[in-house]
Amino acid sequence: MHRLFAKQVAKATGPTGAVEIDQLAALVGSAYDEFDRDRRRTDRSMSLMIEEIDAKNRNLQQLVAERTCELQARERDLHAQNVRFDIAINNMTQGLLLYDSSARLIVCNERYIAMYGLSCEVVKPGLSLRDLLLHRKELGSFRGDVDEYCASVMRSVAMGKTTDILTETPDGRSILIVNKPVDGGGWVATHEDITERRRTEEKIRHLAHYDALTDLPNRAMFHERLLEELARIAPGDQLAVLYIDVDEFKNVNDTLGHLVGDELLKAVGSSLRRCAKPCEFVARLGGDEFAIVKAAVKTQADVAHLVARVLMAIRVPFDCLGHRVTTDASIGVALAPQHGVDLEQILKNADLAMYAAKSAGRRTWRFFEPEMDARVKSRRILEIDLRQAIADGALEIHYQPCVSLCDNNITGCEALVRWRHPERGMISPAEFIPIAEETGLINELGEWVLTRACAEAMTWPEDIKLAVNVSPVQFRSGSLALKVIAALAASRLPASRLELEITEAVLIRDDDTALAILHQLRTIGVRIALDDFGTGYSSLSYLQRFPFDKIKIDRCFINDIAEPEGSSCIVKAVVNIATARHMVTIAEGVETSQQHELLRSLGCEEMQGYLFSPAIPAAEIRRLLHSDRCRAVA
Amino acid sequence: MYSQQMTWNPPTGWTPIATEPEKVSLVFYFGPREMLACGKRYRELREMFPAAHILGCSTGGQINNSDVTDEEIVAAAISFHSTRLRLICRDINDPAHSRRCGEEIGRALNDDQLAGIFVLSDGLNVNGSELVNGLVDAIGPDIPLTGGLAGDGANFKETLVGGDCAPRSRMVVGVGFYGSAIKIGHGSAGGWDLFGPRRQVTKSRGNVLFELDGEPALDLYERYLGPEDSKGLPGSALLFPIEVHDPDQPDSSVVRTVLAVDSKARSMTFAGDVPQGWTAQLMRGNFDRLAEGAADAARQARTGLNAREEDHQFSILVSCIGRRLLMGQRSSDETEAAGAELGSDTLRVGFYSYGEISPHAKSGICELHNQTMTVTTFAEVEA
Repeated sequence: MHRLFAKQVAKATGPTGAVEIDQLAALVGSAYDEFDRDRRRTDRSMSLMIEEIDAKNRNLQQLVAERTCELQARERDLHAQNVRFDIAINNMTQGLLLYDSSARLIVCNERYIAMYGLSCEVVKPGLSLRDLLLHRKELGSFRGDVDEYCASVMRSVAMGKTTDILTETPDGRSILIVNKPVDGGGWVATHEDITERRRTEEKIRHLAHYDALTDLPNRAMFHERLLEELARIAPGDQLAVLYIDVDEFKNVNDTLGHLVGDELLKAVGSSLRRCAKPCEFVARLGGDEFAIVKAAVKTQADVAHLVARVLMAIRVPFDCLGHRVTTDASIGVALAPQHGVDLEQILKNADLAMYAAKSAGRRTWRFFEPEMDARVKSRRILEIDLRQAIADGALEIHYQPCVSLCDNNITGCEALVRWRHPERGMISPAEFIPIAEETGLINELGEWVLTRACAEAMTWPEDIKLAVNVSPVQFRSGSLALKVIAALAASRLPASRLELEITEAVLIRDDDTALAILHQLRTIGVRIALDDFGTGYSSLSYLQRFPFDKIKIDRCFINDIAEPEGSSCIVKAVVNIATARHMVTIAEGVETSQQHELLRSLGCEEMQGYLFSPAIPAAEIRRLLHSDRCRAVA
Repeated sequence: MYSQQMTWNPPTGWTPIATEPEKVSLVFYFGPREMLACGKRYRELREMFPAAHILGCSTGGQINNSDVTDEEIVAAAISFHSTRLRLICRDINDPAHSRRCGEEIGRALNDDQLAGIFVLSDGLNVNGSELVNGLVDAIGPDIPLTGGLAGDGANFKETLVGGDCAPRSRMVVGVGFYGSAIKIGHGSAGGWDLFGPRRQVTKSRGNVLFELDGEPALDLYERYLGPEDSKGLPGSALLFPIEVHDPDQPDSSVVRTVLAVDSKARSMTFAGDVPQGWTAQLMRGNFDRLAEGAADAARQARTGLNAREEDHQFSILVSCIGRRLLMGQRSSDETEAAGAELGSDTLRVGFYSYGEISPHAKSGICELHNQTMTVTTFAEVEA
């Protein structure tokens, strides 16, 4: 009997021993119900569990699929990243190596292999630094001690120090190696071929210190060297600084062109370099200026010898692009400590000495003298005064009559500017005109003279002409013709009464531009005279190129015209040329009757000079003109 | 030590008549709530055993040796030779005070002679886990602590506990055993089978479980119970206890059983904590394996009892109401299995509870258990 049923029977058995069938049936029925319920519960829970597990499985499968996709995508990304990484490191200009903490290669780019011509079969991940260096040594791209090099690198890496090593390869390349430790104990090594960079740097350094044209040390290096030399002048010694200015270089440039000018500078540079001794430092300061520093000067004779060598070196005719060019130099010398120990001071003094040599007519040399400084200063003061005088209208115009050699009548007057300095009295135009030209004040001054003189000429008889000098500087300003027109308009002076006197220098500087201006002036109706004829180049081609109205024969030909071997034949020749070209000739500086007579006999048409009248103030010339007219009329 | 068993039912009253009642120092009695609620049974026992500490509680069925009954009160009267006893009662008004209540009882019972404690507690208004934690805090982990939470059949309405007083709701009683003569063996086992997927406790607060794997816990239970059993909630939820464990300590798993459900909040209240983040897995019972679990618990208690075969032994069996609900008439399978292990000479009384208190079979740390059979065996060794 089933244990449960036995219990049920026992439970349904009454005190009498009789089994209560109803109670037993209830117990049995209840037990069946319990079993049924348990079975249903079990069924339900099992199927729910299966459903749940199935759903979980599906979720898991989906998750696995998603994760697989993610992983595959990540793998693809990683691959693409690796490819990009490879491209990046293999296209670097530097060789790149990555080592692990045990000095074994993790990454090496193609550039490194190519740099040293190594074998890809040997140089690959896993290779130790030592074996790599042995391989390089075997192929000849490494010369040092392998073990020593390895130990040095490992030491630096262990200390966490980035090291830069500059090496020269046996084939002459400069390689900069940088070893930089990385997290985890390894390091990154970059190898950069800096050969070209070093060359460029060297070139830049050279350019910074040397003149590109002559390859001589430049002004900056000259200053550096001079500072050094000034600091180590031995007791009793002197240091000489020579400033050398190539005479008339500008003319060479202007006449033969810049290329020839450059060639001349190169030739002068080379010549100076050749003539200098090892203790003499030659530099080009710029333009046509050179300089030499000579140390350990014992006597002035040492300097004189050097100057002699320099002048000889420069005076050698040079062949410049087929042109045989002869040149000369003006040299200024300053000594240290005698003339100063300060860089600025010694440079200034040498410069002053050089200008003194120039002023002395070039082609010579001068030692610095303290008076030079004083002269420059006084010149500067004069410039300031002149500026003030022009602004104040304190200058005067005097007029010198021009007289016809035929009838002794006044034909015109030359306007000449005069400066009565409040303290120094009359100052010669020869002194202040160059200052005005150098400073550009000549434009303002010239304009003032032109305007005032035109106005003055309007007070004269109508047949009297006015001659005004024009500086080459005024030509260069480009507005000369306009200013002439303005002056004529303002004074109402007819253009035909105005005569502008120019010198050869106008045509030498810039032929074509000057010619254009001259033609403009001629078109207005202004007459053009060539002043100081015979003193300069006196190129007859000028007469050919521009039809001057008048030629002014310089006083130097007139002075000795009466002498037995004098200039009368020259004057005759000039008069002949002028006559042939329908130009009027006028002689200046006529002081004697003999000269007067001679000139008239030679066919010269006009004259001016003390014989007739010096330049006199406006009021006086006005009186003179009117009395002359009265006399003529009378 | 000597123990004698008595039963009470309406027609016959208390039978048999106890021998030497004046020597009886401890009486346990367990019965249906409606039979105890009037207090008359307690007063009868007090009259019978004037010198004894008397403690008992309402149940979900009584265990009388191998029988499981609903219609009678079962009692055991024990006379100790030399073992001293102390009984402490505490009323508890708020489950939040459970730990403090446990500490108070533990401190009151603790002294250097303390050999073990047996506790009966209200089954519905106490957080059993916290009560046990409070007791262990006071007495330490080495003193055997066993007992159970009172039951109310499958009603879950009210449970009663009494200790030297008529049983009433919201009471906890502990009896301490003192001296070197008393030997206490204990065992605890479930025998439930895990089934279904492991789930994560995604929302809980204390012993209130809201969500498993983001799904309301009550939805899951109702789905598994089906419409018919769902009507019987919360009792029917005992058919599917859950095993929970800290994911970091998978060997320290405990089984939790349902005390109440909140159909609005879709939450379920368990007899012990269900911490958020822990892993939970549903369980289901198979009669044979549940019976085997009971035998295992009895075996642990017997082998753990440091006494001779001939020494008189007495066992209290506390089994879970969930087992009773599942097994129905087959419940006696487990009491028989336990009895077979303990020996037919050992007097066995006990009850179906809303929670069992016993040291964990593996960790040895005293805990509140659900869905287990716990066995406590007493013997007194003569000096």
